[in-house]
Amino acid sequence: NAQDYSLKFQSSDAAGVPNFVLEQEWAKRVSDMTGGRVVIEMLPVNSIVEHAETQDAISAGIIDGHITDTSYFTGKDPAFGLIANPVGAWSAPSEMLRFVEYGGGKELMNSLVEPYGLHFIGAVTPGLEAFVSAVPLDGVADLKGLKMRAPEGMVQQVFAAAGAAPVNIPQSEVFTSLDKKVIEAADATVFSTNQAMGLHDVAKHPVYPGFHSMPMLEVSINKAKWDSMPDDIKAILEMSVRDLAHDMDARLAMKDMEAVAKARSDGGVTIHNWSAEERAKFRQIATSQWEKVAARSENAQRVYDTLVKYLTAQGMI
Amino acid sequence: MFDLQSLGIEYGTLAMFVLLLGFLITGMPLAFVTLLIALIFTLGWFGPMAVPLITSRVYSFVSSFVFVSVPMFVLMAAILDRSGVARDLFDAMRLFGGRLRGGVAVQTIFVAVILAAMSGIIGGEIVLLGLIALPQMLRQGYDKNLAIGVVCAGGSLGTMVPPSIVLIIYGLTANVSIGDLFTSAFIPGFMLAGFYVAYVLFRSYTGKNIAPPPQTEKIPHAEKMRLLKGLFLPIMVVFCVLGSIYGGIASVTEASAVGVAGVIASTVVRGEFSIAMLKAAAVQTLSTCGMIVWIGIGASALVGVFNLMGGINFVSGLITGISDDPITIILFMMLILFILGMFLDWVGIALLTMPIFVPIVKQLGFDPVWFGVLFAMNMQVSFLSPPFGPAAFYLKSVAPPDITLGDIFKALLPFICLQILAVGILIMFPGITGR
Amino acid sequence: MATSPIDPPHEDIPPAIDQDAATDDVPAVSGRLGHIVNKLSPIFAFGFLLAMGVLIFEIFMRHVFNDPTLWAHETTTFLSAVGFVFGGLYCASRDKHIRVVMLYDFAGPKLRKALDVGISVVCMIASGFFAWAAWLMVKRATITPSGDIHLETTGSAFNAPYPGLLKVFLLLTLILLMVQFFWQAINYMRNTPVTGSDQTK
Ligand code: NA
Ligand code: NA
Repeated sequence: NAQDYSLKFQSSDAAGVPNFVLEQEWAKRVSDMTGGRVVIEMLPVNSIVEHAETQDAISAGIIDGHITDTSYFTGKDPAFGLIANPVGAWSAPSEMLRFVEYGGGKELMNSLVEPYGLHFIGAVTPGLEAFVSAVPLDGVADLKGLKMRAPEGMVQQVFAAAGAAPVNIPQSEVFTSLDKKVIEAADATVFSTNQAMGLHDVAKHPVYPGFHSMPMLEVSINKAKWDSMPDDIKAILEMSVRDLAHDMDARLAMKDMEAVAKARSDGGVTIHNWSAEERAKFRQIATSQWEKVAARSENAQRVYDTLVKYLTAQGMI
Repeated sequence: MFDLQSLGIEYGTLAMFVLLLGFLITGMPLAFVTLLIALIFTLGWFGPMAVPLITSRVYSFVSSFVFVSVPMFVLMAAILDRSGVARDLFDAMRLFGGRLRGGVAVQTIFVAVILAAMSGIIGGEIVLLGLIALPQMLRQGYDKNLAIGVVCAGGSLGTMVPPSIVLIIYGLTANVSIGDLFTSAFIPGFMLAGFYVAYVLFRSYTGKNIAPPPQTEKIPHAEKMRLLKGLFLPIMVVFCVLGSIYGGIASVTEASAVGVAGVIASTVVRGEFSIAMLKAAAVQTLSTCGMIVWIGIGASALVGVFNLMGGINFVSGLITGISDDPITIILFMMLILFILGMFLDWVGIALLTMPIFVPIVKQLGFDPVWFGVLFAMNMQVSFLSPPFGPAAFYLKSVAPPDITLGDIFKALLPFICLQILAVGILIMFPGITGR
Repeated sequence: MATSPIDPPHEDIPPAIDQDAATDDVPAVSGRLGHIVNKLSPIFAFGFLLAMGVLIFEIFMRHVFNDPTLWAHETTTFLSAVGFVFGGLYCASRDKHIRVVMLYDFAGPKLRKALDVGISVVCMIASGFFAWAAWLMVKRATITPSGDIHLETTGSAFNAPYPGLLKVFLLLTLILLMVQFFWQAINYMRNTPVTGSDQTK
């Protein structure tokens, strides 16, 4: 069969990270399933444009799609920050994925990205992030005055509301700043990756499972490209993304558990696990921030309404 | 419009190099050469709708936090140059190095290592040493080539001696511990600085008119005390910067601001402070940074376009096709890095090669931490190698006008050889990294 | 060469560079725009000092009051970025960008003039393309799909409109860069071939 679609996708993950390998495998599967009619080249973060510029690049037709953290586009519309990481809403990937697939999330996402010239195919997530800390943290009270790094998006705001002192340093300075005790804690990523990057060598009190963040990675494609595709290819793309979500969840969770087991047996690192009450307290603070974000734009308000309606119907709040 | 896509990636890459060289020798500003090639290939390969890729890269490059320390170091240099602090520092160091042939050059390398421990990036240090150490060495009768080489090679150590932005970016790409990378880079970094010192001493003692003869007459005690006083303020500034990093007060980038504040305070203490001086220093910083940053901008844009052309697949195919022998593959990667180093700055090289090399290195069973150190060592070569040698450009931006780029590159040749020697040693004896 | 162990008195040491060069001497080919850019330069230079001050303030707040700001790092990055962008134009106006002058140095006056004009024209065309592309970028960063004016923000808790402002600033600078190269091309063309040689390289 002839190759009908040659697509370039940029990831928000670096080339050597397990997540990126999973994304490459997905691209390969799409090619297999379409009998070579669709060939996707997965490009690592920053290879064509910087991580926060992919949305513009897709709508300009420079690249065809991305697998990226939606909160990078918070600066375009606060709605992206809220839907990407409604801190406190999800305690497991399956909860978020149910909302996206069946609870109106997909339609909502498309109403947000389509005006920018993108089509949202589906969502995946690396899972619940672990919290990196050099000091023991066993509950919300311990966050008071904690000097910590948090990136753009809602996470920073929630920690500020919880009494911590978020510092807006970039990812590239997280390690040295933790090492030299400029900061005491950091929002980084999942346990296994934090471990691999050596963050637990300099911050020996990680909180796992994490309590603060589960980012949504959107798989989106240029809308005109999408509209030009036949239905069978569209269906394959949608289904393969749904499978990627499962793949990513399962395999990264396994890696996390492996890393946790290794950290436990090696010693030197104390893993803290928050009680249900403390988690609930943090969720309470987080959800109180949603409304503030919602007030910032019409779209954010729409995200808020849809989310609250869904969570209420499911008895989750 | 002309269609470059029909060239294919192989000839496209070749055409890119040829055009780069061609425009380079016309005397077109370097920053615009890379930007222009990026533009030609964007237009010819993808058409006008892809041009925003270049402006997007320009925007991303300038708004990156890691470059904030560059103006800080340049500002430090510009203020020091306008005050007597630096001069007094080098005068005082005569007390220690005066008895050694080539002593001031050795001290310059020593200062360079300290600066490297204060910063993770290069640019500022070369400007600083170029403004301060180079005139001192020239006035004392040092061989021009040796003096230039010491400043450029020593000033480039910032990305080899931890903290290092090259190693941090490598760590994030390869998913390996940045702490391990830093630990492993210490000895190779000092080894390289040691090579420079050995070379300086060798040349000073064996060559004629390379370094002034050692001091024979005794310096009177009162003079000694006067000279030693000159050390106090610079040591205080260094203490504040290193202290704020290692004392957990400031991040690496923030510490560079501490350095500027310290240098300004020093000029106040010495009664040399004036608004006019500060303004002149700041304007010089604007000019120097304009040069430094725009060179990086061009390279970053060019790599973005090359990656979009399918450069990643092309280069990785090239590597995996070369041989089954792992060491041959590593050597081939070194060759690629060396060639790229002639045309791009480290940001571009890292952006292009790390995503390709890292998975291959891991797959071949090499230690990715060792390879990270090797990578950083190779970047040392790229800073110096012509025709695109950022270290030479930074020095040129502040050197006396009669020193041409040609002079600088000629002076750098022996130092490039030392760096290649260091790369070779790291490959032959990976144990040096402690892995 | 003199190798006296006793150094000459400080007054005799020539400065490493002409310290006043940074504040004056715009090459004549840059015309009036060159002088305007030169006049504006201290404002952006001051931005670097301000960036330094902001970082010191942040260290102070975080360490003494345990109350880090949410705005310091974004603001420093923005100030530096604006300086970097303007610095490129400033160097173009003052012809301070680094060049490899191998061919140029061997060239006779006529070829030199041709090179000067040609380089300026090519740079002008390239800048024009970039300005146009920056305009597309600015449209995305300032107008929402629904047509409202909204400067792209950083998306942090501080949420300053720095990305939007920086993109607009980049557009303006690229337009000025194009105009600057235009005037340089015109002036190089008007000049007699000899004057091209005394420019800075
Ligand atoms: Na360093
Ligand atoms: Na080079």
